[in-house]
Amino acid sequence: MLLLGLIPGDDRAIYAQIADRVRFAVASGALRPGELVPSVRELAKQLVVNPNTVARAYRELQAEGLLDAVRGTGLSVTVEAPERCQSARHAFVRDRLRAAIDDARRSGLDPSEIERILHDQWRESGVAGQHEGGQS
Amino acid sequence: MTQQGAAIRIVQLAKRFRGVTAVDGLSLDVPEGAVFGLLGENGAGKTTTIQVLLGLLAPDAGQTRVLGLDPSREGLAVRRRVGYVPEVPALYDWMTPAEIGWFAAGFHAEGPGGSVGYESRFNDLIRGFALPPARKIKMLSKGMRAKVSLSLALAGDPGLLILDEPTSGLDVMVRREFLEQMVDLAGSGRTVLLSSHQLAEVERVASHVALMHGGKLLLAEPLDQLRSQTFLLAITFGDRSHPVAPPDHLPMELIDAADAPRQAHWLVRARDRAACEAVRALPGVESVEIEVPTLEDIYLGYMRSRRPTPSGPPSEVHVA
Repeated sequence: MLLLGLIPGDDRAIYAQIADRVRFAVASGALRPGELVPSVRELAKQLVVNPNTVARAYRELQAEGLLDAVRGTGLSVTVEAPERCQSARHAFVRDRLRAAIDDARRSGLDPSEIERILHDQWRESGVAGQHEGGQS
Repeated sequence: MTQQGAAIRIVQLAKRFRGVTAVDGLSLDVPEGAVFGLLGENGAGKTTTIQVLLGLLAPDAGQTRVLGLDPSREGLAVRRRVGYVPEVPALYDWMTPAEIGWFAAGFHAEGPGGSVGYESRFNDLIRGFALPPARKIKMLSKGMRAKVSLSLALAGDPGLLILDEPTSGLDVMVRREFLEQMVDLAGSGRTVLLSSHQLAEVERVASHVALMHGGKLLLAEPLDQLRSQTFLLAITFGDRSHPVAPPDHLPMELIDAADAPRQAHWLVRARDRAACEAVRALPGVESVEIEVPTLEDIYLGYMRSRRPTPSGPPSEVHVA
């Protein structure tokens, strides 16, 4: 079964986090076109969130054409989804970096210092070798 | 969400104990299918309200309906149809879980499958919770007793589950299992009323929240709406003579204000984020950050409710 987690330290609405986790799972190939996402009840129980919250995330993904209702069985990933989810991933990383850069500027760092921290952290995360994304 | 009716309706409820007002003109609807988080400090009137809903206490004034029944006249019928988990479970502790399940089944002949159905659902639940069926309840841990209490409440297949601080003092694992059961129940369209101090948990599972203070209702609304229309404004001013509250002409309502010499933190209700941008135009503003508060921030803000009058010079310096 697909395992989705919420992002620690992400203070956006939970439905938006869930929608992003599904997008990342698709972008990383953990969820492929034609595969079914967990049912609303199943995912609500797994994440311990209100079922309406999961339903809302799924509605958003359906409206974006990433998920499609399969008669009688559930929601499946569309053929177009992988490509679209790649760009969603870019947008997510861009927003997170942007927020971090805003914080850095407010704390009074200048661009060269911010850049140095970015490169240091990039190297460190490479050593850790963690691949972020949907885990299956 | 199904919005066709209210699982609980409370109209102008009042209850006093020897001159102390516990509940003071409370009116509240819990929609069918909601996971409704009832918040408030100890002594806010939450437990009194729940006991009136269950027909365990007679109100001094006001009306209540629970699943269409009047608890003050049909208390027994209400208690048969509602699953109730109190903070301190009242269990016969000389019995084993299996015995108490059999015993309770005798009072639940009306549910699906009658008493037999109740007992078999109870046995499934205690198996799912990995409870030892044949150990006396007095030998069980606090977490295990809480799970026995939850199993008794769920075995009746209730349309409404009422939990009063069910997980206070329990470990993370047990709290998680309680939450999973609540989510599962909500997923099948049942209604849950949860009184809790675990704000982060309520924030995850609730569809609606209500906040009580001194026996009165401060707010009751869908959690989505509360979170999308409440903002924390962190404002830095150029000098010390800045407004201590949003001026009246701004499209926002102040919940709580904290003040420092050149800074203000205002927790406000506003239509949306764009409406909050109006504070940038205030004289002397250097920077504004608009943040989305957590349920805990919102709760604390309503509890503190520091609302200086917007006009006039800053008189007092609050420590944030």
